[in-house]
Amino acid sequence: MTDIAAAPARSVGFFFALAPRGKAVFFALAATAVCLLFAFPVFWLILTSLRTGTGVYYVHRGTEFTTDNFHEVLSQEIVLRALFNSFMISTLATVLSLGVTATSGYMLSRFKGPIPNAWFSLIYIFRCVPYVAWVLPLYFVTQKLHIFDSYWGLLLPHIAVHICFFSWIMKGFFDGIDPSMEYAAMIDGCSRWGAFWRVAMPAAVPGLTALAILCWLYTWNEFLFALILTAHETPILTVVMAQFVHELGMEWHLMSATAVIALVPALIVTLFGQRYVIRGLRI
Amino acid sequence: MNEKTRFMLALITPAALVLILFQVVPILTGADASFRNWTLHDPKRTWVGFANYLHVLRDAEFRDIVLPNTFGFMIATVACSLVLGLAIALMLNNRFPGRWLVQSFVLLPLMVAPVIAAIMIRWMFNDQFGVVNAALEGLGLAPISWLTQRWTTFAVILLTDVWLWTPWFALILLAGLQSLPPEPFEAARIDAASAWRTFRYITLPMLRPVMVVCIVIRAIDAFRTFDIVWTISGGGPARATELFSIYAYVEAFQFLNLARGSAAAVIGAIVIVVFALLLYRVLNRFVEVSK
Amino acid sequence: MADIVLSNVHKVYGHVVAVTDINLAIKDREFVVLVGPSGCGKSTTLRMIAGLEEISAGTIAIGGRVVNHLQPKDRDIAMVFQNYALYRHMSVRDNLAFGLRNRRVPADEIAAAVSRAARILSIEPLLDRRPHQLSGGQQQRVALGRCIVRNPKVFLFDEPLSNLDAQLRAQMRLELKELRLRVPTTSIFVTHDQTEAMTLGDRIVVMKDGVVQQVGTPLELYRKPANRFVASFIGSPSMNFITLRVSADGEHFALACHGWQFRLPARRFPHLGSHVGRSISVGVRPQHVRLGAPVNDDQIALNGAVTVTEQLGDEQLLAVRLGDGEIRIAGADPDLSLPTGTQIEAAIATDHLHFFDELEQI
Repeated sequence: MTDIAAAPARSVGFFFALAPRGKAVFFALAATAVCLLFAFPVFWLILTSLRTGTGVYYVHRGTEFTTDNFHEVLSQEIVLRALFNSFMISTLATVLSLGVTATSGYMLSRFKGPIPNAWFSLIYIFRCVPYVAWVLPLYFVTQKLHIFDSYWGLLLPHIAVHICFFSWIMKGFFDGIDPSMEYAAMIDGCSRWGAFWRVAMPAAVPGLTALAILCWLYTWNEFLFALILTAHETPILTVVMAQFVHELGMEWHLMSATAVIALVPALIVTLFGQRYVIRGLRI
Repeated sequence: MNEKTRFMLALITPAALVLILFQVVPILTGADASFRNWTLHDPKRTWVGFANYLHVLRDAEFRDIVLPNTFGFMIATVACSLVLGLAIALMLNNRFPGRWLVQSFVLLPLMVAPVIAAIMIRWMFNDQFGVVNAALEGLGLAPISWLTQRWTTFAVILLTDVWLWTPWFALILLAGLQSLPPEPFEAARIDAASAWRTFRYITLPMLRPVMVVCIVIRAIDAFRTFDIVWTISGGGPARATELFSIYAYVEAFQFLNLARGSAAAVIGAIVIVVFALLLYRVLNRFVEVSK
Repeated sequence: MADIVLSNVHKVYGHVVAVTDINLAIKDREFVVLVGPSGCGKSTTLRMIAGLEEISAGTIAIGGRVVNHLQPKDRDIAMVFQNYALYRHMSVRDNLAFGLRNRRVPADEIAAAVSRAARILSIEPLLDRRPHQLSGGQQQRVALGRCIVRNPKVFLFDEPLSNLDAQLRAQMRLELKELRLRVPTTSIFVTHDQTEAMTLGDRIVVMKDGVVQQVGTPLELYRKPANRFVASFIGSPSMNFITLRVSADGEHFALACHGWQFRLPARRFPHLGSHVGRSISVGVRPQHVRLGAPVNDDQIALNGAVTVTEQLGDEQLLAVRLGDGEIRIAGADPDLSLPTGTQIEAAIATDHLHFFDELEQI
């Protein structure tokens, strides 16, 4: 544990200050406590998913375990469709959101004048408007446009949610990239679009990666929009999971099994992505 | 219109189209609805001016329960997540064996859908079969029926929200910590500053701009919290834990009065816009003074 | 190969005037340096020529063609930036080839052009590296390579040496001069460093506050600066200025300030006649002040106490108190011991005196 004592100069020994002698012990205890605190509900979820239908009522006692729940859940057509839909919606929403906000953030970063100012004010104000002020009418708008309960009917509102915040963050990414690279590209024969696409965008990849991971996770786990803007045609995983314990009775074991399945892609994305997220968020 | 202007407009056109169609139009539609009579027995949707607003503002439920609940919840969740998130970020900013593992555990809540977390927590706090009461019995204490009383329900909701959002604070503050320049910390070591004084007078002031942004963004989001409250308590028991987004949803979809729900939403929107601006001003002044 | 003509070029940002009425004709294959303090409009001028800034008024022509409304990519120019602006996600080879690929040059021609440019700049071993793996000097060479590979009509340089340390900068100056011999191309070079301007330029354009102060060869600027600003900007150490009052004294003009006075024959300095009774600024370069008493009538004497000395090894720089002011002297013998307060006598040849009023050299 010597490398704790020899922590880098910038590290802030807040915990050490509280317990100057038992540094390492205190530190290890704190780390363990944090892990337990954050892992317990997930641990409980996994445990519940391995219990039989009645076994869930004494999760903390019995010793019977089964993987039947997973078989049962994966044999339900609605769960499979929901998995597929959620995956498609999350991926498409990520790609499209990043696409439209990268251009808008780039514009905010590179230009000055009345048009960027007006656009910035617009997204700044709309960032503050709470969901409830527009989720309800959004239902009517999607019905009017005949996209209710379809991919587009859920995708486009998701993109709209991300526009304000992401444009803001993207502006920060592009502010950190020296524009002379784009000037060089324009002199080297690129149009403005070419300079943006072939030079500025590749340079923004670390930031884009971080944002893509957060966006994907957010959409994968989103509930309110999915609840209000979809019905039977386009089942979404979070809604289906909630239905196991709301409408279809108290099927805790099935809900948990589905939730554990839903956790797997998120787990993969986060474990591989956390490095990029922390690096990319350094604005 | 010259080539540069065309380029600028082309860059924002896709975003602007989506924004207008799926945010501006719905918000205006909602605002329009809030001035009309939307009950089922009035098919003409008569214009009623501010009647819906007055109704919401006069509603004792809204005034005495929903507003205090919303603000109390917002302040409590932001404060708790900030303190916890900062502590975890400071911890993770040290190099120690197993840091990667701890960091992955801390990020777990970000991977779980909030609605699933809420369902799970509700299950854990179930008064008959929940693991929490089982643990209490194991310790020889009396079980508590958590979700049938206002304050215990409120505490469970708060716990869930803090659990969900602390990783978010930790992540952003960790990124902030890692991008701080090392020189002031080296200077503090040469000046023989204690760990606590280094934290109090160097780390905290330098991290403050990141914290301000975090607090403002998170406060706005906390104000409009819907799914975890809806899942854990549904606003109950007896509407005692309703936040204003639940109130708007209940008015619109359960009492089938979209106008009243919209009016509540608009009132909430105005409150949060004003509140966010004030918060930003106050925190920023705080930052400037500390400089 | 092309000439460049700027006619009545203006640049205005809102209410801020950045560049006023520039007229400049640059000949084919000429190397012109734009020099001036920061904020003088030199970079803006260069960026207007490149097409990165819009021109508020006037015209810019390259090779006889007005380029005001052409995109940068259509102007057939190449540019080196202060921070080199290498594409950091591409290898050196791709950096060099990027401009040619944009113009759909056949692959074998690109390969030939890239290897030729790499050979000229001795960066062949670096072709497969990424920019962040290169030192400052190597990045500089790649940036140059990106220019010459395309064989454009014009090279533009925007303070390309200012990020290098002093030693490397001197070396790159030499390499740039050698490069000019091998690849003669019309070039415009922007810098705030008068040494770079003097060493590199065929002609130098001195700018201040968006206005051209003087255009000329390095020697013209050094010997006949148009005004006090140019005189102080060109030459190192900077020229001394002393404010003196002119009066008529028979066949001579007497110039005097507190603590110093001398006489000049009216026959040789007739243009001082119109300034009798007024104050003028007299400039003399530190190199033109010699220690010791005057040896003939064409020299004037000055006396003062040494305040500071700077030892450079091959010479000493002195600061000497003269009346209320101070005068700097270069080229003193490094072995002389001159503690502070030492009284010294020095002489200046009258040929080396420059006279300025508020506007220009008299």
